[in-house]
Amino acid sequence: MIEFDDVRFSYGAREVLRDISFSVDFHEKVAILGGSGEGKTTILKLIMGLLKPDSGKILIDGEDISAKTEDDLREIRMKFSIVFQEGALFDSLNVKENVAFGLREYTKLSEEELDQKVRSLLKMVDLENAVELMPEELSGGMHRRVAIIRSLAAIEPRMFLYDEPTSGLDPVNADIICKLILKLFLGGRGFIVVTHKIFDAFKLADRFMFLKNGTLLLDGQREKLVNSPLPEIQVFLSELNPRLKHPGEKNG
Amino acid sequence: MKTKELISDLQDFYLLSSSGLLGLIRKPFYYRDTIEQMDYTGTGSFVIVLLVSLFIGMALSLQLSAELSGMGLKMYIGKIVGVSIIREIGPVMTALVFAGRVGSGMASELGSMILGHQVDTLRAFGVDPVKKLVTPRILSSLIMLPALTILGDAVSIMGGYYIAVFVSLQSSTFYWSSIQDVLNYENILSGSIKPFIFGYLVACISCYMGLSTKGGAIGLRRATTRAVVASFIVIIVADFILTRILLYILGFTV
Repeated sequence: MIEFDDVRFSYGAREVLRDISFSVDFHEKVAILGGSGEGKTTILKLIMGLLKPDSGKILIDGEDISAKTEDDLREIRMKFSIVFQEGALFDSLNVKENVAFGLREYTKLSEEELDQKVRSLLKMVDLENAVELMPEELSGGMHRRVAIIRSLAAIEPRMFLYDEPTSGLDPVNADIICKLILKLFLGGRGFIVVTHKIFDAFKLADRFMFLKNGTLLLDGQREKLVNSPLPEIQVFLSELNPRLKHPGEKNG
Repeated sequence: MKTKELISDLQDFYLLSSSGLLGLIRKPFYYRDTIEQMDYTGTGSFVIVLLVSLFIGMALSLQLSAELSGMGLKMYIGKIVGVSIIREIGPVMTALVFAGRVGSGMASELGSMILGHQVDTLRAFGVDPVKKLVTPRILSSLIMLPALTILGDAVSIMGGYYIAVFVSLQSSTFYWSSIQDVLNYENILSGSIKPFIFGYLVACISCYMGLSTKGGAIGLRRATTRAVVASFIVIIVADFILTRILLYILGFTV
């Protein structure tokens, strides 16, 4: 379980998160919503211990990770698989080497075994023909698929963390990514997805958190989000997604 | 506030430099990355270092020839070229070329990795970015800059030879015997310690600037520029300090 207890975080003088508290089970499907710069990605980085909170506690399975060193955090990080915005593939490595990265770090597979494993993983996302391609030769959707597969190649994560997995993608590719995320969930491993695309969030999650100005304005299910009277949420829902009606208006 | 930031930056730089160096004796070792970096820092800089060294050697020899011919001391060209190249110009010039080419490359590569969340991805995989990224760069600089300096010195001396013998019409045998005279323990020690220190400093500064990149393309430009400017200044200041110390240790009277 992930628990945030009055967590505050700032980048220099800019306070990004203020007294954030929530708890998430590893098997949940959670979407963190909010506009750009509201601290959504920061939450994912705090969960992984990539950033340290200014105050408050972050507990992973009851263990406070706020003051842990990089070496101690390694075990905690193995519980998660994170996919950063735009995939964050290593540009100096081709697709095969990107996927094999974790395998080379944590296993002693021979080159042949490694090659087979990478090809079988890439087959899962229909990219077995992209083995030799470099990241700059991949489309946005292919990039994300390689990144997702890479993130679980060598470890058995208990939860996935996705940072804007569908941003910048056309609807077809966004749909492919959403299906892949749901396919991986079938293993019983939950996920937290950070997004500002409300329709993708609705496709994926059943619990929603809404961040505005560093505070958690809402934490609940879809109905609670859609029917929220808070003007910040209504503005977010209507401005980004004009198709979504305001509460009180009749749905077409 | 500025002083506080400066102290904090120096502290971070010290931590990065020391942990990068300690990575040389701590597992895991990233051999593939080190070989890749050696190829980039050494093989990639080879031609430019040789070219710069050749013309520096020829220009120095030409200047000396013009100055010494008036005093009838042209036979000393070989000796002065040898001493100045081996002890001073060779190590400093090679380090400056190295900082301009390799330092800027290291800073921009690491900076773009920071901006593209690739360093965060490494950490998420449980990989220490200092060991994976900084230590191989330090090690490759520690090996390749001295190697480049030796080659650069040799080419500079040959450039000086060409001018001394074919333009200034000095004796070839006398030039080489002068060079042999200056290839003594003191000069070689003085000229060979510097590249190790310069290589370490350039790698640490460039990695630090790259890894502290913030703010998109402008931040990347700033980090790269800072890496090169800081490396240049530090090389020149360190050269003065090292020269002073080495002259004292080797018993030269100033």
